[in-house]
Formats: sequence, structure tokens, C-alpha cells
Amino acid sequence: MTAANPPTAGAGQPAVQPQPSAAATAGGVGGAVVLVATRVALWLGVQLLLAGLLVLGGAATFGRALNEAAGWWMVYGALVDLGTLGVIGWLLRRDGRSYRALLGPPTAAWAVALGALGVLAASVPAVVFSGELTSAIYGEGAIAPMFAIVDLPPWASVASVLVVPLLAELAEPVAYLGVILPRLERRLGRAWLAATIVVVVWAVEHAFYPLLTSGGGMDLEFAAYRVGSVLPYLAIWTALYYALGRRLLPIMAARWVFNGGTALALALGLVE
Amino acid sequence: MQRRILYQLTWLAAALSLGHHLDHLIRGNAVGWPVTDQVNAFTASLVVYPIIATGLLLYQAGRVGPGFWALVSGGGAAFVAAVHFGPAAVEPPELILDHYQPAILGWLAFGWLVVFVAVLAITSVYETRVWWQQRQARRATSPATGAGSGR
Repeated sequence: MTAANPPTAGAGQPAVQPQPSAAATAGGVGGAVVLVATRVALWLGVQLLLAGLLVLGGAATFGRALNEAAGWWMVYGALVDLGTLGVIGWLLRRDGRSYRALLGPPTAAWAVALGALGVLAASVPAVVFSGELTSAIYGEGAIAPMFAIVDLPPWASVASVLVVPLLAELAEPVAYLGVILPRLERRLGRAWLAATIVVVVWAVEHAFYPLLTSGGGMDLEFAAYRVGSVLPYLAIWTALYYALGRRLLPIMAARWVFNGGTALALALGLVE
Repeated sequence: MQRRILYQLTWLAAALSLGHHLDHLIRGNAVGWPVTDQVNAFTASLVVYPIIATGLLLYQAGRVGPGFWALVSGGGAAFVAAVHFGPAAVEPPELILDHYQPAILGWLAFGWLVVFVAVLAITSVYETRVWWQQRQARRATSPATGAGSGR
């Protein structure tokens, strides 16, 4: 079994040595940059394309069209994740490795389920922090803007519940924890630094989905809120990745429950 | 390596706990005995320090292992989360956020609490995994010993 070394409490020395596992043995930082750039470009590109189509159709001004397109982010996210899977596949083929190797050591189904419960329980502080941040910025009881703007027809709601969360789990955590993190660890030689960079970059990516406009310009307050609200989740999940011996499946399963549940609650109109 | 990490996580959790108790004292709105006459959740939470001290001694002596620390960390996470985050929280986040001036200090104290609970939960997951691995390793070696000595 592959041993994993979780991050240590203190700073100043390598908390986790890069593992001699399949996840850590291939590829350079270039692949990591391509992966992040692809995701950001797709988030921006797809929303801008949708907004452009709305403007061409004469439906709205560009600012309004951008916000209308943003209402579909929980659906067009599938394109971003498909693009991500494409890049991951390309990197894996180049390095002669398998997707399964990115998920960590073999784990029994019951252990994945138990681990996922642990991940969900450990995510509670992030849920509370995010909720308090939303209340502080948008008022007591307010819905986070990225959920408040979602307005989908039934077929798209079904896709946002059944398809998109599954694709997201196959792509997003695998990209950041399975592909980017090991490459950074190998390059930097300091796992705590690599993990910090991954968490920050992963959080900043969230500023791009969706882009919202306010007062004739980009809503930078929302972008900052988005990064701040998601940061604790990503820090906790990254730490848990180490704590679970570099097993991704429990994290993917917990995130699927969490994100799928959120999409379902939105589709059923339970988020008011 | 695992022992070193376990010690570091324990000291980190103890430092975070101490900082959170300090936050209680600064706010002064959720304290109990020995600061006041009232016995409450604050008083109960002080039991964590003798537990950590005893646990460290027993761990050093080889009397307890990661399973003990998984229970202590997990129990601590559940207790602090229930007191501060639960639906029936006796000390909800507002009790921290609304009692500092400037407000950023409240967010600092609240962020500290969030990190504290997260560290306890993550530590519990890690220690549970280490406990399980050690248990599996013991099981894997025990049949060989039994075969040689018994039949």
C-alpha cells in the first residue's frame, strides 16, 4: 500500500515528500499550467460565447447578456469539465499512464463511503464560514449570488443534477489533486508549498464562474466573495487528500453528494 | 514519521484550542467557571487540557495509539461544532462576529474557530486511517506467528 504523509502542523520544512506513486512520477509543471489555463479559458470562453449569441440575437445589451448567460453556469460547466478530461487524457497518453492511477491506492467501496462521510463531516466548518460570509456581504438569509441567478428550464435542471456534478467530480478534483499537485510537489520539493499554491489557484479559478456584471463593470466584489467562500472547502479537501493517504475517491464521492445535493435543491426550488 | 505527525497535529490542535479559549476570555460573553461562578460549555471544554496531557504521557508510554487520538480529535470536533455551529448552538458565530471592534478582529477570531474545528476533524480522519492501517498490519502478522507456535 502506498504510504502517504499528511501535511505537518509546522511550517518551514517539507511537510510531505512527493510520493513514489504513479500520481507523483510523471509530467512537469507545464502540464499543470495547461490544465489550469484550459479550465479558466473554457469558463470565460463559454460564457462569453453564450452572451455573444444573446447579443447577436438582439436579446440584450452585452452586460445583461453576460448575466443571463451566467444563469446557465451549472449546465455549461459540463463543457469545462469535458475539456478538462480531454487535457487530462492527453497528458496521461503522453506520459503512458492510466486515469485510475490518479485516484490513489485501491480502496474498498465501504472504505470510500466511510471516507466520504468523514469528508462531509470535516467540511462543516467550511459550510458555516461560507454561510456567514454570504450573510455578511449580501444580508441575513440571502442566497449566494451564483445560486440566486440560476434560472433553468426543466431539461437543463435535470442535466445540472444528474450529469454535471458527476462530470465535475471526474474532472475537477482529479485535475487539481491528482495531476497538478504531484507535479508541483516534484518541482518545488515542498509539499506544503505545493498544496498552498494548488488551493489558492483552485480558489481563484472560482472567480471566473460565473462572471457577473454590476454597475456597468465586472462585479469584482462577487468574484472576491466567490474566492473567499470556497477557499476553506478547498483547503480542507486538500488536507484530507493527504490525511486519506492520497485517496481521491472519498473526496470525489463527498463532493458529488454535496454539489449534486445543491443542484437538486436548486432544481426543486428548495433554495429560497 | 507517523508518530512525529501525530505529535505535531496534537500540539497544533492544543495551540488552536488555547487561542480559542483566549478569544472567549477577550469577548467575555461566553465564559464560565473558573472565570465566573457559572458552570457551562466553556467550563466543560477545559477538560481537554488534562485529556491531552494524559494522552501524551500514555502515548509516550505506548499505552494508547492513534485510535485514542482519533476519538479525542473527533470528539473534540463534534463538541466544538455542536456548541458553535449546530442548529442548537449555544454560542453561534454571531457571538464572536458581533463582539469585536473593528469587525475584522471578529472575522479573525471566527476564522480561527473554523480552522480549529477543521484541524480537529482532519486530524481525526488521519488518525483513524493510521489506526486502521496498524490494525491491518497486526492482523497480517498474527496468523504467521500463530501457525509457528500452535500447530
